[in-house]
Amino acid sequence: MKKYSQLLLISCVMVGVSSAIISCDKSITEPLRVGYTPASVDEKAGTWKTYVLTAPTDVTVATPSAVTSAEYLAEVADLKSQSASLTTAQQEAVVYWGAGAVYRWGEIARELAAKYNVPPASTPDGKYPVPDAANPLADPRFPFANPPYTARAFAYLSVAQYDALVATWNYKYKFKRSAPSKADASVRVALPASALPSYPSEDAVVAAASYTVLKAMFPGEVPFLDAKLAEHRNSRLWAGMNVISDLNAGVDLGSQVAAKVMARAKTDGMSTANNQTLTAGMIEAAKGRGLTEVWVSQETPARPPMLPNYGAVMNWNFDAATKVKLRPGPPPAIGSPEFTTALDELKAINKNQTREQARIANYWADGAGTYTPPGHWMRAAANAANDAKYSEVRMARTLALVATALMDAGVCCWDTKSYYYYPRPQQFGLKTSVGLPNFPSYTSGHSTFSAAAAVVLGSIFPDQADDFWKKAQEASDSRIYGLIHYRFDCTTGLTCGKNIGSYAVARGKADGSGL
Amino acid sequence: MKSTLKCLIVAALLTPFAAQAQMPQDAIYMNKRQICVAGMYGYSSWNQYWEGSLKRENLNIGTHTTQSFMLMPVIGISKRVNVILSLPYVWTSTSAGNLMGQRGIQDASAWLKVKAVQVGGFSVNAVVGGSVPLGNYVPSFLPMSIGLQCRTVTGRLLLNYRERKTGLYITAHGSYGWRGNTRIDQDAYQANDRVYNTNEVQVPNTYDAAVRLGILRKGIQTEFWAERTACLNGDNIRRNDMPFPTNNMQATSVGWYAKVQPHNIGVNARIGYVVDGMNVGQSTSYMLGLLYQINFKK
Repeated sequence: MKKYSQLLLISCVMVGVSSAIISCDKSITEPLRVGYTPASVDEKAGTWKTYVLTAPTDVTVATPSAVTSAEYLAEVADLKSQSASLTTAQQEAVVYWGAGAVYRWGEIARELAAKYNVPPASTPDGKYPVPDAANPLADPRFPFANPPYTARAFAYLSVAQYDALVATWNYKYKFKRSAPSKADASVRVALPASALPSYPSEDAVVAAASYTVLKAMFPGEVPFLDAKLAEHRNSRLWAGMNVISDLNAGVDLGSQVAAKVMARAKTDGMSTANNQTLTAGMIEAAKGRGLTEVWVSQETPARPPMLPNYGAVMNWNFDAATKVKLRPGPPPAIGSPEFTTALDELKAINKNQTREQARIANYWADGAGTYTPPGHWMRAAANAANDAKYSEVRMARTLALVATALMDAGVCCWDTKSYYYYPRPQQFGLKTSVGLPNFPSYTSGHSTFSAAAAVVLGSIFPDQADDFWKKAQEASDSRIYGLIHYRFDCTTGLTCGKNIGSYAVARGKADGSGL
Repeated sequence: MKSTLKCLIVAALLTPFAAQAQMPQDAIYMNKRQICVAGMYGYSSWNQYWEGSLKRENLNIGTHTTQSFMLMPVIGISKRVNVILSLPYVWTSTSAGNLMGQRGIQDASAWLKVKAVQVGGFSVNAVVGGSVPLGNYVPSFLPMSIGLQCRTVTGRLLLNYRERKTGLYITAHGSYGWRGNTRIDQDAYQANDRVYNTNEVQVPNTYDAAVRLGILRKGIQTEFWAERTACLNGDNIRRNDMPFPTNNMQATSVGWYAKVQPHNIGVNARIGYVVDGMNVGQSTSYMLGLLYQINFKK
């Protein structure tokens, strides 16, 4: 009997130990971003050069009531009651949105991009249905947020935010209505209040502009976006930061600017980016220039190439003639010594990929189900601007420069891909450890995107320029390690991206910000 | 699910069941100072899988195959307390498409099996096991990854009744499996309908339950089994997307197992088939093992 009790004891101890481990905390910690007082309020930003607006006066804002008016005092009284005591959920919303309006809406855009970045499934008869904007939640969902689509979504989002904020700064310093907590010291604020005039509210401007763009880009997400919009607006009241007329004027201004920006989107050529009837001509033209083996989809059933005419979409920082000049020279002929060298490098990796090569390939893969390479760089840009305590308008300027460079890079790269129609390494028997993109090989999109973004970021944050470039280089190499690009795809892509990014850099130098 | 296998399951992500031998799911014990070493080869493949609850094929995968070789010593501490260790080497491949196969040493696991109560032919057994990733394999390249790079701890209660004359037996067990977070090469990922801005991924905990019916006589054992193994939560594979470690993988499988070990040397074999599941491949698995028993003099 003694033996039994010993065994029972052992069992109990084992159960106890295992249940202790089972209750282990599995919660996940993500980097926290919190509100700050900007290093500079950038009071002259109302004069900075905009992308789509010709001047801040393209949009109108009603003259606010004076801070001594009965109307305003009533708004302040209402604000005090809303911000007096907050629930935990309200406090969380205040902290979340307090990290920055541009920052958070960029994050939301990346989340939507990741959610919609899945290629349509084939039907039983071997076809790939095209996502339908009028029926966004049917299978396949609209959009397929692939890298070109996502780069464009980020560009329009960032441009709308930036143009709207430049106009906002113009009106803020025209009306100079001080923040409610400055007008009445008894207003409780939950976030740092700067010297920035509060009418119209920059948060409401960014929310309305972002909402308008994202609703157009992700039409199946209206309820989700409605909830974000409402929470953002309410968080400004709960935080004691804006009275209702600050917010209403902001919504009005943000919506007006976004409507103008989205009018450009309607005519930028994206509607014909997926024109598959052009591919036969592209193939013939490439063969006419001497290509002996053209790109062929490696999927079963064969999938039409991703947005073959995206290269014809309008650029942000240069015109169509410049785009042609930026197109690189041809890749090595198939079977040439240069080609064979590049293929042999891949064959060696195919045989013996190191864990570090796999890690780099995975880190930068940004494939299906992710926010794409443009998202990767937008996140890096937003974090750098947040670390530097940029004001909303300077944050928006940074992201607009990066996002427009990324879209320019996408357009130029797709133009090059369709022009040369070069086969992927998988057409010569290689596998991949990251998944094979379904479009021609030359040049590497990752390399082009990354170099363009790194050059722009290096110009804005000169002390981090080397680091950004190192990352671009690694992103470029990652496509070789993942076996889906020849080295010449990547080195040429890097060079092109650098040249493309320099146009955004030049724009930034000349936008009147002095930055 | 087979516990030993559990690591494999995880391993072969979409291939829940592979090999297994002397085992954390039976009521058989080595005597004191006995060691039985099993070397087992496993082969598991599927050409259809469940994307959430949607059963489908994937022409860019064709047939997905997971093979493994596992070394598994079972050590008799006493005739009521056994320790079972295992170390698998796993490799994956596909018959179509261009996804690169992965290979390597997977997770080492250890089990402590204790016969807590024995009354006549009836026994109550407690089993506690854990596993630790040994190889530095990629956990997020599913379905090619050989494992999920997470630690596990499993607690199991196993009931057995064996009729002495005929050797007929019935075994039932239930377990709870805790799985630690894993870290992936990426610094952001999508799961549960949102983006996580970190490389840390929560892997769902699991439970399993099984019933086995068989005959055990001197030197010979054969049984039929049915098993249910499932995550306690997790998300589904998104439409036409690849699987991810956060997926709620579930499988119900049936199979047959046999062991013949007249003397020191023996063989065992196992066949399994997934009849229903979610976020896993509908795999058929085979295992063949060689057993060698060593008796140390007292």
